[in-house]
Amino acid sequence: MEERESDPEGGFSRERHVALMEMMAEELPGEYATQEVNRLTLAYFALSSLSILRALHRVDKDQVVNWVLSFQSHPGKNSDWDNGPFYGFYGSRTSQFSADENEIVYPIGGHLASTYCALAILKMVGYDLSIINSEALLISMRRLQQHDGSFMPIHFGAETDLRFVYCAAAISSMLKDWSGMDKEKAKEYILKCQSYDGGFGLVPGSESHGGATYCAVAALKLMGFIYTDISSAKIEHSTLIDVPLLVEWSLRRQAEDGGFQGRLNKPSDTCYAFWVGGVLKMLGAYYLLDHGALRQFLLSCQSPHGGFTKFPRERIPDLYHTYYGFAALSLSGEQGLDPLCVELGITM
Amino acid sequence: MHGRPRRSPKPEDAAAAAAKASKLHELQSLLLQNHQNRIYTKEALLASSKLIEVNPEIYTAWNYRKLALQHSLNGVSDPEAIKSAVEDELRVVEAALRRNPKSYGAWYHRKWVLNQKLAEVDFGREFRLLDQLLKADARNFHGWSYRRFVTRLKNVLEEEELGFTMDMINTNFSNYSAWHNRSILLSHLLGKKANGFESKEKILSEELELVRQALFTDPSDQSGWFYHLWLLDQTCSGDQLKLISSWPIHQSKLVLPIVKEKDNCNSFLYPFQRETLPIVLYFNKPVKGITSSTVMVSSELAKNEDLTWKPLLASNLGEANCWATYLMILEGNCSTSQTFSVEVEVGCSEGIVSVSGLHYNPSKFKFSVEFDHNVPEQAQGNLAQEPFSWNYSEKFYSQENSDFTSFDQLKINDDALKEDLKWHFDTLSEEITLFKEMSEENCKFVKLTLARLLIAYDAMKSPENSLQQKRKHCEEALELFDDLIKLDPSHKRYYEDEQSLVLLDQVTSDKESLVKYCWQYDNPNFSTFRRHNCLQLRRLSLTRVGFVERMLWVQILDLSHNKLRSIAGLEALQLLICLNLSNNQISSFTSLEPLKRLSSLRVLDLSFNEIGAHPVDTTRYLCSSPLSHTFDVKGIMEVLQKDNINVADHWEMMLLFKSLNLKQLNMKGNPVSSENFGQLVTKILPSLHWVDGERVR
Repeated sequence: MEERESDPEGGFSRERHVALMEMMAEELPGEYATQEVNRLTLAYFALSSLSILRALHRVDKDQVVNWVLSFQSHPGKNSDWDNGPFYGFYGSRTSQFSADENEIVYPIGGHLASTYCALAILKMVGYDLSIINSEALLISMRRLQQHDGSFMPIHFGAETDLRFVYCAAAISSMLKDWSGMDKEKAKEYILKCQSYDGGFGLVPGSESHGGATYCAVAALKLMGFIYTDISSAKIEHSTLIDVPLLVEWSLRRQAEDGGFQGRLNKPSDTCYAFWVGGVLKMLGAYYLLDHGALRQFLLSCQSPHGGFTKFPRERIPDLYHTYYGFAALSLSGEQGLDPLCVELGITM
Repeated sequence: MHGRPRRSPKPEDAAAAAAKASKLHELQSLLLQNHQNRIYTKEALLASSKLIEVNPEIYTAWNYRKLALQHSLNGVSDPEAIKSAVEDELRVVEAALRRNPKSYGAWYHRKWVLNQKLAEVDFGREFRLLDQLLKADARNFHGWSYRRFVTRLKNVLEEEELGFTMDMINTNFSNYSAWHNRSILLSHLLGKKANGFESKEKILSEELELVRQALFTDPSDQSGWFYHLWLLDQTCSGDQLKLISSWPIHQSKLVLPIVKEKDNCNSFLYPFQRETLPIVLYFNKPVKGITSSTVMVSSELAKNEDLTWKPLLASNLGEANCWATYLMILEGNCSTSQTFSVEVEVGCSEGIVSVSGLHYNPSKFKFSVEFDHNVPEQAQGNLAQEPFSWNYSEKFYSQENSDFTSFDQLKINDDALKEDLKWHFDTLSEEITLFKEMSEENCKFVKLTLARLLIAYDAMKSPENSLQQKRKHCEEALELFDDLIKLDPSHKRYYEDEQSLVLLDQVTSDKESLVKYCWQYDNPNFSTFRRHNCLQLRRLSLTRVGFVERMLWVQILDLSHNKLRSIAGLEALQLLICLNLSNNQISSFTSLEPLKRLSSLRVLDLSFNEIGAHPVDTTRYLCSSPLSHTFDVKGIMEVLQKDNINVADHWEMMLLFKSLNLKQLNMKGNPVSSENFGQLVTKILPSLHWVDGERVR
């Protein structure tokens, strides 16, 4: 088999991956110092990797829960929920400090992406999300939504695009409470981002992009506008987006080397095997791609140290591409990996 | 940046990394302190800019700087002071972008600063920054987005931006981001008919010329081909919305037999349900808005306001090429021997709109209906007595030599598409000539584009396009697809599908060739038609169906011994009674979805297909099913549970057959069929008389 030839060590080296991810969950190498603000996101990559690798028992779950909960932003006694910051989760200690003795909280608040990662981790380790104090979180999240339906990630203002629409939908879905967003508006915004070629851009009018397309489809799915689950059948909604064109665009992102590119005429990159592969999975069209070629590509991005790199035959893995390497292989049903809930980005 | 190789760390890197980490830690604590205590001194700001320079990802630092800027400019009116404060911010952003050109926070900060409109924007500087950035990574989408922002802010004309995309393409024509931006700009400009962009023809010709240069330079690069495809689409999609076919056709005379039933009621023979008659409309583009107010059916036969129009072949956005309604004939009308005239006015009020926003210009067609009461006894369809047989030596007559009356139903409406499209023809012929010169090279893009051009040319009807030329084009296109299958076997199926369309176009485009495939089935007891129009398209290696608008009159269709994997399109054939799909490559029940719309269908031959052979069902995501929530499974689930049958195993089959009125079904030679299967089908389909040639009722 060709796969064996290009990979003398024999396919997917699970043990090496587990060892690397266990280390990453414990302590990050110095190169990640600049990523400190995204600590929760990095933790999500490491822990979710272990979860896919069926090795989550190697971390102390109580410790993880306490650590994650310590990032939650809580309103003070006299805080005005309607005007304060976003009471989500801080990305890291750097962006977190508490109210002063006069209960005046400085207008710094949680971040949508960190909040998504925090809840994802908690859910992954089996924490009961219904006991989270989510009222302030959801009320304050509503204010992050813009008139056009998009979301900004922090109350202070920042770029608004499909990434944060996705985060808001994932948060609402995990908390099983949609009072924190206007689904119809969010849907309208997403529909405006579909380009003439079938893919989605991060903002209306921009070039179709694999990551943006994942955010669009996953958010629609979480909000209940796209269905692929036979047991939850209802007939009142039908699909709104041009699915055949989208499937075509997605399939065309599989390049000749077997990997997926994020945009037209770009090199294949490990992470898009998940972003674009995930889109196909959510639409029930995953089986249409060339699985053998994709696996071969992904294994050529496997680092000898464990983990995955962005491009084939590089040596030093990074946490982001490593996680999406596992996620991509999980989608394709690689042995020894747990299946993913694609739209939430965590194991089922 | 893309394609930049990562290198292994050296020992000195480790030391540097440690130093960097400790510096970072220090700066971060300082920032938080300053932030919390609202200290906006020069030193504090300097510290924050240092932090950002090391790590542009710290959005807290960006927000701190926003507050600091607002704080320090509060009450300041000296333009120099304001200008210098703004400059500082822009410099910090630039430093951050040097560290990470894809930093969302940095790009947002810059936009925020400019949006404050504090000082006059130095646009030269913004464009220089963009030039530098796009020079380093021409595909950086932040750069392209920021460019759109700056041009809007400066009110740069879109015409000028076109010039920029031109420069980028000249630098590297492989840059699809530039082509994409060009397509967006052109769409706007052409849409609003901006100065210099009034003539779509002129602009598209220039664009074709432009992209040709790129294509001829490196035919293996994808970007130009995608842009060419976009242009071709703009060129071919005409600007008119038209009705291209209908049933009944204009000026046809229908004679419908009527039988007296036991209860003394008048009734049609099947396929039509009691006293209903279909009207089918077929447009050149998918449309929505077909209702009894946009289409007026005037006749004494039936009331217009009772009509409901339903889309056939609907996309999931609700637009369809083909729409149908069923006339409910008013009581008493059937018993007379009067001739009723029916007039259909399409577009009598506004509301028929295509996907791209084209509106329909009103048109009319007329036909007449007469009832024949001299129908022999026991005419109630003979399928109950004997099965229908696809034996052409029996009861079938070749149409070639027969003088048969209903031939006008085959009339192909050539007039419908005549229009002045000189520019389109000239452009396409020119493209065809040029690509023919290139097609000697074994480049798949060249061959595919040439085939598409030939097909696009043929799709336009005009006196300039003669039948001979069309036949020649078809042959050429078929050959090109043969080459492509050899050259690029991984896309074989796509090429086969395209070939099928060319073949069907060839067969159905003129009367002379179509007659060779037509038969007539005479059996006065069989249905309301007595003489049935049969189209026999066997052994043509078809993998898909097409040009159904030319087949709306078909009652018996034989598609056996092809390579059909899909039958999408057949839902338009509302008169279809018998369908032979045997010996094809249909691999799932979901790909038979179109049959659900054929309420007249009684005889279906599915024998020797591959239903159940493949675990991969390529049509599942396209069909209406519980998966797309376009179908209610509740009823089905109850039936199955009562009989202890696993829902997951059979829902596709059950959903399909539940909605059919078959009397005769042949499923032999499919992996899915078994004894158990026959029983299940009989149970679901109470109308069945014949299964696999055996009488079941």
